[in-house]
Amino acid sequence: MVLRRSGIAVGLLALAAGVVGAAQQREPLAVVRGRVEFARAIAAPEHRPSAVDPGGPIESDALNRRRAVVYFDAAPRGAFEDRESARVSLDQRNETFVPHLLAITAGTTVDFPNHDRTYHNVFSLSKAKRFDLGRYAAGNSKSVRFDRPGIVRVFCDIHSHMNAFILVFGHRFFAVTDQDGRYEIEGVPPGSYMLSAWFEGAVREQRPLTVTGDTRAVDLGFTVR
Amino acid sequence: MCTAGLMTAARPSRGTRLVLVCLAAMLAAASAGAQDWPDRPVSVAHGHVTVGGDVTVTVGSGDSGYFNFTDYERSTLRLVRFDAVTTLRANGHVSGVIELRAEGDSAAGNWSADAYAAYLRVQPWTGRNFEVQAGRIPTAFGGFSRRPYGNDNLLIGYPLGYQYLTSLRPDAVPGTADDLVAMRARGWLAYYPVGEQYWTHGVPPMSIFQYDTGVLAKAGIPAARGELSVSVTAGTLSNPGVGDHNGAPQVAARFAAKPVPGMLLGVSVASGAFVAREVRDVLPEDAARQQYRQRAVGADAEISHGYWLVRTELLSSVWRLPALEAPLITEPLRATAWLTEGRYKLAPGLYVAARYDRLLFSDIQSSHGVTTWDADLWRAEAGAGYSLRRNVMLKGSYQYNRRDGGRVKAASLAAAQVLLWF
Repeated sequence: MVLRRSGIAVGLLALAAGVVGAAQQREPLAVVRGRVEFARAIAAPEHRPSAVDPGGPIESDALNRRRAVVYFDAAPRGAFEDRESARVSLDQRNETFVPHLLAITAGTTVDFPNHDRTYHNVFSLSKAKRFDLGRYAAGNSKSVRFDRPGIVRVFCDIHSHMNAFILVFGHRFFAVTDQDGRYEIEGVPPGSYMLSAWFEGAVREQRPLTVTGDTRAVDLGFTVR
Repeated sequence: MCTAGLMTAARPSRGTRLVLVCLAAMLAAASAGAQDWPDRPVSVAHGHVTVGGDVTVTVGSGDSGYFNFTDYERSTLRLVRFDAVTTLRANGHVSGVIELRAEGDSAAGNWSADAYAAYLRVQPWTGRNFEVQAGRIPTAFGGFSRRPYGNDNLLIGYPLGYQYLTSLRPDAVPGTADDLVAMRARGWLAYYPVGEQYWTHGVPPMSIFQYDTGVLAKAGIPAARGELSVSVTAGTLSNPGVGDHNGAPQVAARFAAKPVPGMLLGVSVASGAFVAREVRDVLPEDAARQQYRQRAVGADAEISHGYWLVRTELLSSVWRLPALEAPLITEPLRATAWLTEGRYKLAPGLYVAARYDRLLFSDIQSSHGVTTWDADLWRAEAGAGYSLRRNVMLKGSYQYNRRDGGRVKAASLAAAQVLLWF
């Protein structure tokens, strides 16, 4: 099932408050792993066409854009108790945000270092977090703390082709896929769950999952169509 | 010379209808391609076709002094525009750019549609910043002219140097200095006895509402952290268009550099034959042999840091007209436009902006004494913009115009605009 952005935003918010599953502390924990496959080509980012400056394809790391997030729609009990404040970085390099997709837990601070020769102006108008860091030069960095679960779309006010996603979760049961599309979510207690694979603004596929006390590892694949 | 001022048909022409249909098809295709109303350029056919668009709807005060008019019937404070830019990429070296634009007035209608830009783009070397454009192209001149889309404009009004209609016409010229002075502050609807015998609008120092036809070469100069553009086109800054109206090309050049991050400096020059062929055909033999050129120089600068953005630009244009009868027009006619604008972001998605703008004209000797050949004016405009989404913006602005002549010497005008782009 494919949900629109608003749908996934609601889902993520619900996820912050909802607790499903009858997991008990100290029960054996499982690992959920698998692979997200892409059944379609991933379009390269483009400059906004302009008669004055027609631009062209952006030289970017295609793998940077070929990332998905797999997450639990509803988290196991106790999932919200082990949050810890973290600090991660969303780089600006070659007029590209690297990584293009960042998944964090609420309370995480994201640094936005500028490693280009030109100014950048990172901003977001997303409901989950509105911010505007203003224009700053190479070698400088500014940071934002994300306290509210949701989807944050990040742009540069100067370079309209620059964009990135930050998914803010209320728990730790999520993973960003690696270069081969593989993901792994550890420490899953027994229970029945729904897993979603999210890519470029929408949930692309959802699959149910049941973890019993005997389960040690589950392999679950997804396809982005 | 466009004669649309008094000759706009009630029904759109076949060409206009064709462009409107193409524009609607492109916007529909873009929307379908994105499976939603797009918020970024839509790329199809494995990146060979990319479509971007811009929709602007503006409502504003009636402008009885014609301070904001781009021709006799259309004001920038009531501009409604649908714009689609498509790039067609054959390979890494050859591509085409087509910009279709439909414009109307939110109060008066007066719709027109045109292929605003249509050119072939050749980039001979991969990895080098060098390209050649041929067709209907933007002229290599000016700073504001590099920002032609609605979301590039901090306010709603346009700078005087790029929009305000002076009393000069390329297709008709004054026989005497008195003829010229009689049209002071009448650029929205002017008449001269030599050339085309009808009333229509004059031209701005540089028109941002049309592109020219010709060839442009652009090259990056890494050592200077800059870029040089040179164009050879059929029209002039004031009167660009399709086809050769004046029998001689215009050469224009612009060099822009970014010496340090956050700073842009640009200089531009242009020179081209201004007076149209139909005027030269009726001039006395001696006068017809001379060239009547528009020459212009420009300089622009932009500085930004944090939440501030400040720009300033100077555009000086000189036109030479035939000296036919006394009192003669012997001196070149100069217009100097100067603007400073700034923006400050108050909060995410919310900014305030202001622009101060002057347009001054040189003196001329007529039977009534010495006066400027057109009426000097200035404009102050202030406004705010709020982004509902990244690509949906609401703008509001208020402007005060003051002119040293004409039936309406001052005007306070307000406008609101909704802007969507992708």
